[in-house]
Amino acid sequence: MTKPTAKQIWAIAAVGGVPVNPDVAERIANSIGPAFEGFAPVAGTLPFDLEPAVFILVQGAENLKKAAT
Amino acid sequence: MSSEPALMSLTAVAQAIAQKRLSSREVTQSCLDRIAQWQPRLNAFMAIEPEAALEAADVADAALARGQNSGALHGVPLAHKDMYYEAGKVVTCGSHIRRDFVATSTSTALQRLKDAGTIRLGSLQMAEFAYGPTGHNAHYGAVHNPFGIDHITGGSSSGSGSAVAARLTFAALGSDTGGSIRMPAHFCGVTGLKTTVGRISRAGAMPLSQSLDTVGPLARSAEDCALLTGLMAGADPNDPTAVAGPPPDYATATREPIKGLAIGIPSGFYVDDLDPDVARILDATVETLKRAGAEIVQVELPDQRQLTAACQLVLAVEAAAFHKRWLIERPQDYGPQVLMRLQNGLAIPGVLYLEAMRWRGPALAAHLAAVAGVDAVIAPVAPVAAPTIAESDVGNGPDAEAVIQRLTRFTRPINYLGLPSLAIPAGFTGKGLPVGMQLIGRSFDEAVLLRIGAAFQRATDFHQRVPVLS
Repeated sequence: MTKPTAKQIWAIAAVGGVPVNPDVAERIANSIGPAFEGFAPVAGTLPFDLEPAVFILVQGAENLKKAAT
Repeated sequence: MSSEPALMSLTAVAQAIAQKRLSSREVTQSCLDRIAQWQPRLNAFMAIEPEAALEAADVADAALARGQNSGALHGVPLAHKDMYYEAGKVVTCGSHIRRDFVATSTSTALQRLKDAGTIRLGSLQMAEFAYGPTGHNAHYGAVHNPFGIDHITGGSSSGSGSAVAARLTFAALGSDTGGSIRMPAHFCGVTGLKTTVGRISRAGAMPLSQSLDTVGPLARSAEDCALLTGLMAGADPNDPTAVAGPPPDYATATREPIKGLAIGIPSGFYVDDLDPDVARILDATVETLKRAGAEIVQVELPDQRQLTAACQLVLAVEAAAFHKRWLIERPQDYGPQVLMRLQNGLAIPGVLYLEAMRWRGPALAAHLAAVAGVDAVIAPVAPVAAPTIAESDVGNGPDAEAVIQRLTRFTRPINYLGLPSLAIPAGFTGKGLPVGMQLIGRSFDEAVLLRIGAAFQRATDFHQRVPVLS
């Protein structure tokens, strides 16, 4: 996964309904680049049967464990 | 008892009022006197309501005289971050856009404190829409640190940190989405509890990121945080994410010894590249906890940089989604840095956001496995003490992201995992600026953090240091 270019950001923002000018797109590209790079080892590696609610399950198991002690 | 009631702890002043050793009016007047002295230097309050506060204090005193005690905080004056809705009150959220917004309902957290008998001093300053880690605010000015007027308070609960530190209010609600309670606690020398996602209802609290937002207190001690958290925690029909079941007895937990508890100290990410004062204070804190009976254990945590990145992706997208209408209709009404950060969220593809959300479960499981042998982990809140307001006033310039990243480096991973974390004052730099440490717990185990924090505060006096008005 690579960080998006200013041109790509300009297009994404426009499609999203909040167009930004090229200077802003350039600034956003620099600003969010580290987040893209930091998440790159995870992106595209997650197993098929994994959904966001697993977080609640893991958290809830901890709560049940606490309640039982 | 202190000759100045405002200098007492929340727990002590509540008892003094309940036992009629002090009246609510005396206590409220003491806070108002300090606010009058400090506010011109700190800019910690958004609104001050002296007449209404004194009137409410008189009502509380009259009720007590009739034998009617409304709760554990009867007649105690407090002020909170200006993002908790209170019916009929202007709630600015630190913004120009909501400068005149009048809430039509009261947030659950605030209502529960009101039900316990608190009265309102006014409202506290904050970063615009709670989206800033320094304490700057483009519309209402920077909030100043009572321990160094030229230094930042940290944000986004900037007014909460500043006002609690200067003893203008006994405690204050903050909110923590990326570090917004722990950083002001660290920079201002107060105690702050970031609760587990789901521990306290968020109904009626201004949203920033629905997956990461948490409600919590800033106060003068772990004991005071325990009292407030116990009053606010629990299920709420207005917030389905608030967990059911009675919360633990936090107040009792603060009185238990820590002998036999294991505290993990991570290597690498949380200890590399620390300012020498912060490194020295971390070592001293560990020694104090050891002397108090805790066992200190090295722990290896999963890669925290990936957690930080995931937190950024989730926060940026959810914040942009909340603000999308105003980003279209009123972009000129945001401060430059907040606009910049909200625009960041526009550029993150939906699939990437959902990957960050899907990874949250396995990431939490991996963390819990890594800390299976310990009761809590200790780490700095930030790698530095408070920078000056001037050096961190970067607006939307090229250095903005680097400044934000450096300050929030140690707090964001915890938000992504939804874990509780207690920030405690742990020492002072050579220049007299506070430094805090965070105790990071397992999900819903705020009690053990408060227990360790209280034990540390019985062994030290950093939380009792009062800044002097120069």
